[in-house]
Amino acid sequence: MVNLKVSISKLKLKTPIILASGVLGSSYSTINRVIRETRIGAIVTKSFTWEPRVGYNTPIVAYTKAGIVNAVGLTNPGYRALKEILSNIVKNDAPIVVSIAASTPKEYAEIASFAEENGADAVELNLSCPHVKGHGLEIGQDPEYVGKIVHEVRSVLKIPVIVKLGLTDRIVDSALKAEKAGADAVSAINSIRSVVIDVYARKPILSNIYGGLSGPAIHPIAVRVVFDLYKNIEIPIIGIGGVTDWVDAVEFFLAGASAVAIASVIAVKGLKVIDEIIKGIEEYMDKEGFQKISELVGLAHGN
Amino acid sequence: MLRNMVVFLKMFLETLKMCKAEIVEDVEEAEGIKSLLLETSIKKPVPGQFVMVWVPGFEEIPISPSMYERNVLRLTVAAVGETTRKIHSLKPGERLFIRGPYGRGFNLDEKGNFLLVAGGYGAAPIIYALHELRKKGKNVAYVIGARSKDKLLFVGEAKKFNAEVYIATDDGSLGFKGSAVEVAEKLIAKYDNVLACGPERMLYKIMLKCLELGVKCQISIERYIKCGIGICGSCVLDPKGLRVCSEGPVFYAEELANTEFGKYYTYPPGIKKPTE
Repeated sequence: MVNLKVSISKLKLKTPIILASGVLGSSYSTINRVIRETRIGAIVTKSFTWEPRVGYNTPIVAYTKAGIVNAVGLTNPGYRALKEILSNIVKNDAPIVVSIAASTPKEYAEIASFAEENGADAVELNLSCPHVKGHGLEIGQDPEYVGKIVHEVRSVLKIPVIVKLGLTDRIVDSALKAEKAGADAVSAINSIRSVVIDVYARKPILSNIYGGLSGPAIHPIAVRVVFDLYKNIEIPIIGIGGVTDWVDAVEFFLAGASAVAIASVIAVKGLKVIDEIIKGIEEYMDKEGFQKISELVGLAHGN
Repeated sequence: MLRNMVVFLKMFLETLKMCKAEIVEDVEEAEGIKSLLLETSIKKPVPGQFVMVWVPGFEEIPISPSMYERNVLRLTVAAVGETTRKIHSLKPGERLFIRGPYGRGFNLDEKGNFLLVAGGYGAAPIIYALHELRKKGKNVAYVIGARSKDKLLFVGEAKKFNAEVYIATDDGSLGFKGSAVEVAEKLIAKYDNVLACGPERMLYKIMLKCLELGVKCQISIERYIKCGIGICGSCVLDPKGLRVCSEGPVFYAEELANTEFGKYYTYPPGIKKPTE
């Protein structure tokens, strides 16, 4: 009998598939839909900032042959709204992870405390938004600053702290600093900074010009990052990037991820893709003779 | 199965692609309302579906087409904001950029006759549905309401398609003096189906009446659609978590019951405003 349960620090997940931050996680009603309609293992909310953010003007999404580029602009009602949102989420066995995008260590810590007080099961520090100034990649590519933020948050929190890092040359250093400062897990990667130009309009499509590329094109890059992180850190890794089916998810486990998060594939295939991926993993494990996800984690590194 | 998936993915990505659309004709439909006929390669929309329309340098907005015939798409637009005013200023030969169609349109395969109810520029998807229903040989009546007779949409077109036409104006300048709802409420019991689009308060009354009488009712609703593909969360209908751009914009009355519809409107970043 295949057992799909995984643990990320203190979090107990009934399946290893997580809803990544950004899709369907901005209101309690869509989160409740994911909980009711799927076997999701955990849900990460859309990132909450100090002040409410309307987000960017449209166009906020653009097509490329390689996938979707988005610049939504961290649309959210501000962290104080977490109280109402968290209280409206149906009681269930999928942990709710609150994603935070702040601009100083103190802001991160205050929002994290507020999330904990209002029932969050964990927080994820978004240190990698590819298209919002002062809320993202600049932070994640400075390992010292990553360490400082994690330390500040860790010192005021009981619940697990997950650090979400994006693609930078110093991602392994940042992860090491985060681990040293007490992070409980690292999730990687975020969408990758991109520009799409329409050849007839002769202008960038996105109102923000820059956006984040997601989808299949970034998957091998994300697998490389998880592979490198696994060699260097001890804390669990959540693999994110271009997962469209169970094969991509299993690949992440083999590279060293303890769980896998998905997002943009839901826009393409709908919510049902979550259970399809879970079922695919189950069948693969059954046929290939694995009982637990942990047997797969990092297996591609074997001697 | 894998092949099906590849075809499906390709189809989805096709709808994401920005397509240039050249204006071949512009028509003054009513006071402050203009139609543009566009030559475009997008897939034929189902009436009630919408396309995202981008004017470079301005915003990208959702519009539900009022007609589609052999690669020509008609968009009927009221000048209400910066982007729509810009669209009104465009002339034949100029371009717009379009992606879609998206969402769920009207189900025109329901059995029996159809009562179509439109308020203001909500008439756009309704007249397109009327075209397609008549092509299927269905019995159709068209109830159109507006503030005054200068603002009425598609009266001649509905007659040309041999639909029964009922007119309501707030000021009584033509037809019944009052709203389209008052006219429609008396007719609903005679029909098997109601399709409606217009101001939310009007749609809410139609929804209640149809639920009371047990008449099948499909309503096209409006929310703040930003991405059009179900990822950004701007158009979510609480508390059911329905994404208007993906599960809608057309819903059956039963789906809209017990939601924010008719009561309040959630704007990004999560601000609630009462229905106007």
